Amino acid sequence: MKKLFTLVLLLAFVLLANMSLVTADMHDWWAEAAAPYAGTTIRGVSESTPPSNYVADVLAAQFTELTGINVEFETTSWDQMYSKAINDMEANTGIYDFVYIEQDIIYSYLAQDYLVNLTQFAADNMDLAYADYDESAFTSFADYFKNADGDLFGVPMEAFVKVYLYRKDLFENADIQAAFEAEYGYPLAPAETFEQYRDNAEFFTAYGESMDMDLWGTTVQGSTGHPASTYEFLESIGPSFGLYNWGINLETGSAQSANGGALDGETAIEALSYWTGLLPFAPPEATSSTWDEVASSFAAGRAAQGWVYGENAAWIATDESRSAVTGNVGVRLPVTAPGVIEAAEMGEGYIGYYDGGAFGVPHSSRNKEATLLWLQFIGQSSVQAEWAAAGARITHTATFDDPLIAEQDTKVDGYYTLLEEQGPLFAGAPPFPFHAQVREIIDPFVQRAILGELTAEEALSQAAAAVDEELSRLGYGM
Amino acid sequence: MRDSRTGWLLLSPTLIILLVFGFAPFLYVLFVGFNQWNIFSADDGLVFNGLDNFRRLVFDDDFLHSVGLTMRFAIFAIGSQIVLGFVLAQMLTRNFPGKSLFRVIHTLPLMVAPIAVGAIWRLLVIPGFGPAPFFLDRWFDLTYQIGTYPDQALWTSVIMDVWHWTPFVTLTMLAGLTAIPKEPVEQAKVDGANRFQVFWYVTLPFLRPVLLTTVFIRIMDAIRTVDEVWMLAGGGPGTRFTGIYIWRVVFPRTDYGYGSSISIITLYLTIVLCWLLFIAISGRRKGEVE
Amino acid sequence: MTTTPRQRLRHLAATYGVWIFMTILTLLPIWWMFVVSMRSRVELFARPNLALTRFFTENYSNVLTDSTFQRYMTNSVVVSTSNAVLVMALALLATYALSRYKLTGRDNIFFWLITNRMAPPAAFLLPLYIMFTRTFRIGDWTLYDTQIGLILLYCVFNLPFAIWLLKGVVDGIPIELDDAAMIDGAGLGGVLRHVIIPLAAPGLAVTGILSWVFAWNEYLFAANLTSVNARTITTGLAEFVTVTGTNWGELAAMSMITLIPSAIIVILAQRYIVMGLTFGAVKE
Repeated sequence: MKKLFTLVLLLAFVLLANMSLVTADMHDWWAEAAAPYAGTTIRGVSESTPPSNYVADVLAAQFTELTGINVEFETTSWDQMYSKAINDMEANTGIYDFVYIEQDIIYSYLAQDYLVNLTQFAADNMDLAYADYDESAFTSFADYFKNADGDLFGVPMEAFVKVYLYRKDLFENADIQAAFEAEYGYPLAPAETFEQYRDNAEFFTAYGESMDMDLWGTTVQGSTGHPASTYEFLESIGPSFGLYNWGINLETGSAQSANGGALDGETAIEALSYWTGLLPFAPPEATSSTWDEVASSFAAGRAAQGWVYGENAAWIATDESRSAVTGNVGVRLPVTAPGVIEAAEMGEGYIGYYDGGAFGVPHSSRNKEATLLWLQFIGQSSVQAEWAAAGARITHTATFDDPLIAEQDTKVDGYYTLLEEQGPLFAGAPPFPFHAQVREIIDPFVQRAILGELTAEEALSQAAAAVDEELSRLGYGM
Repeated sequence: MRDSRTGWLLLSPTLIILLVFGFAPFLYVLFVGFNQWNIFSADDGLVFNGLDNFRRLVFDDDFLHSVGLTMRFAIFAIGSQIVLGFVLAQMLTRNFPGKSLFRVIHTLPLMVAPIAVGAIWRLLVIPGFGPAPFFLDRWFDLTYQIGTYPDQALWTSVIMDVWHWTPFVTLTMLAGLTAIPKEPVEQAKVDGANRFQVFWYVTLPFLRPVLLTTVFIRIMDAIRTVDEVWMLAGGGPGTRFTGIYIWRVVFPRTDYGYGSSISIITLYLTIVLCWLLFIAISGRRKGEVE
Repeated sequence: MTTTPRQRLRHLAATYGVWIFMTILTLLPIWWMFVVSMRSRVELFARPNLALTRFFTENYSNVLTDSTFQRYMTNSVVVSTSNAVLVMALALLATYALSRYKLTGRDNIFFWLITNRMAPPAAFLLPLYIMFTRTFRIGDWTLYDTQIGLILLYCVFNLPFAIWLLKGVVDGIPIELDDAAMIDGAGLGGVLRHVIIPLAAPGLAVTGILSWVFAWNEYLFAANLTSVNARTITTGLAEFVTVTGTNWGELAAMSMITLIPSAIIVILAQRYIVMGLTFGAVKE
């Protein structure tokens, strides 16, 4: 017994000593590798989100201390971020050394050959390769930043899926449950089918009205002045009905069913009319809501259930300074039509959008080596857990098992477990090199369907025709 | 007259700056307007396509619709500003205690950055946290949702613009009114003209140059409005004005060729409109001199 | 025309009625902005309430202590002040030239100058971007992301306005005064200094003030042609609009703060604004 104790003690000691040695080594390695670049300044552009704010405020400072390389961050709004990064890369100006790549724009960037192949670049600069940075440590989300050969073009920095949030305090209230069952003839529960979802929405809207509460049945990300509405339809509602890749057939280059597309097909029409049919049960701000307002509405307690991007789940569930529903947030997989989950499990579809972003290095950068060090720094395992806790994002498989995350997980009703286990059911954006272009074409039709100016069928058949016209103009169509 | 060389010398810094930062970009836009150019197309170079962009534009419902909306916006907004600004300026020509305080407060909106104006108005009118829909519903039982009703979005932009720019009109009108000599007005009154006649036959002719100039400046600015409306309603149905439409075509769609040709046409229409006004103003001036 | 005291009283009452009403309408959005700036994020979504519920100053302290914000503020002050001064100087010279010299195509030049303000800005961003990053490039230095770049660029929309405003003012100064000064031996500089500038002072002042305000408020160019070093305060406002919830409280606080400098200038310069805005409507 005593021997064993000594052994354990010894082992612990050795381990500890080793660890401190590793830490010291790590410091030396960074300083040494960065020596030729100390004093340079690398600049990046990013949207102002919690994960990227953590990078700007915490990680950048640590990196500068270790390496002497300064990191400048330009945070800006969503539209601005794209226009500035694209201008820079297209004109080959070299303003940015790293750019934020939202997952859905990566294929456009790759098609234009804007980005440095990070796998290749690291292999060519072995002296800059950091031991604790390993591409295989990333979750499957990193696959959406790879080319056909499996080479990585962006270091994932945030990742999340759009989940179904519901108010536990409402769904678990006995009086409400009784009232629901009396009216609908089956017990109240978080929705698993679209019919049930609509019943819930209708019920809670009526309930809110009868109790003179500011409560509605569902969120709808239905802004008529912003692409957010098109995104919710094409990336969340559509796939859960079985409408994939925006209904665009890449082989024929068409969105019309006559040519192999599906944007004007029955599934799409069903999805759009179902979704716009939810508007009467959504709070009045729904038609002005982008993703951030949807999250805010839910956090304000104005909706009983809804589709909310996962990056917001953590603060809605835990941050009392911003959310009125802390502790009452339930998290589930979004509802799907029959057969959709099965298809997704077989890899023949997906149930929603695996969203997120990465940092990549434009070819126009003049400090590629220093930037490579920086990207490895934020991509290494040891910084992931705290970053995940601060920004509700997970990009490393190992991070799921970290105690910090396990603790968070219980507070957000198992969101991280869901992300880990069911994440593969979601998928990144379709591999379009014309992402923003075609989205802009579809936008007005979705907006007019929301306004009721067009029926779902009219909106989608006109949208599909307009998409085809744009595709052929861009040279991707027929 | 004096040596024109000195005149050109005095004018040259202005000309140089405007040629470099105004005219050169214009030439570039003009050039691009005759090309097919989208950096995210399969073949991403510039391809000369003659008048194709302009042909496409004539049949582009979205563009035509945006021009119609912009015109409605400009006419309603500027019309209200002129009437309101004139009435207020008229009231400011007389003295009364507290006048300067009222005038300062009235000028404040002019000082708020357009993007902040858009943000404030969004906060006022978005259901959920905006007081406007809340109180309209409670007191008058009116449903006010700018996201759902395009007309409401348009009217909200008009009212926002009136709020923002009426002070400017009031100030120019006030300046114009104070500069009107007293004698003709007194004379007309002695001759037995009523108030309307004094206004119509004496005040208005004197005020005409200021009036037209103000309208001119407001038209120029109203047609290119982007920031405020963008923040307010994002340029959805009802507020997709030409300035915003161009922005969407040029930026998210990166259709530089087509966006440039729309810009050229818009600029051309603005110039024609303003040229007519300009002739009206300078015609009047020449008449005075001779 | 005589008015009875009663009529006068009624008139005064009507005047106050209108002005109090106008004041409320004018101040309501600004008041709301102030109220929002005094609320925490979670309070914003309670039922709309126009009253100030408490003094919550965290939004202000967050904004004011942020070093980025301080840099933006400095940039804005430098850019708009320099631009206003430059515009005043250039516009004065230009209008003097247009008014006193027989230049071929004078009216057309004048009109062309004005058209520079009419261009819809979005499409011009690309050529300007290329110009700022490529054309004006000396070694590693480019016009992009510099204060001087914005100062020069803002002339494109401020100069037309300023020239128009001053044209009337300078036209209104009798040419005999120039001639008298010249007979007394003054050169061009002397005429400008001793005759034109003093007489055009109100017009110049209002030109400067309005140019300053336009430059201070400009967003689109500043957002696209600066990156980190020369960003202005209006571009900072857009940073509060984020995916995970727009930070309305801080946005409103920052808007309030940006309003203050321009409001002070306008209050101090009220008199000149009215005196200077005549566009040469009436020649004395």
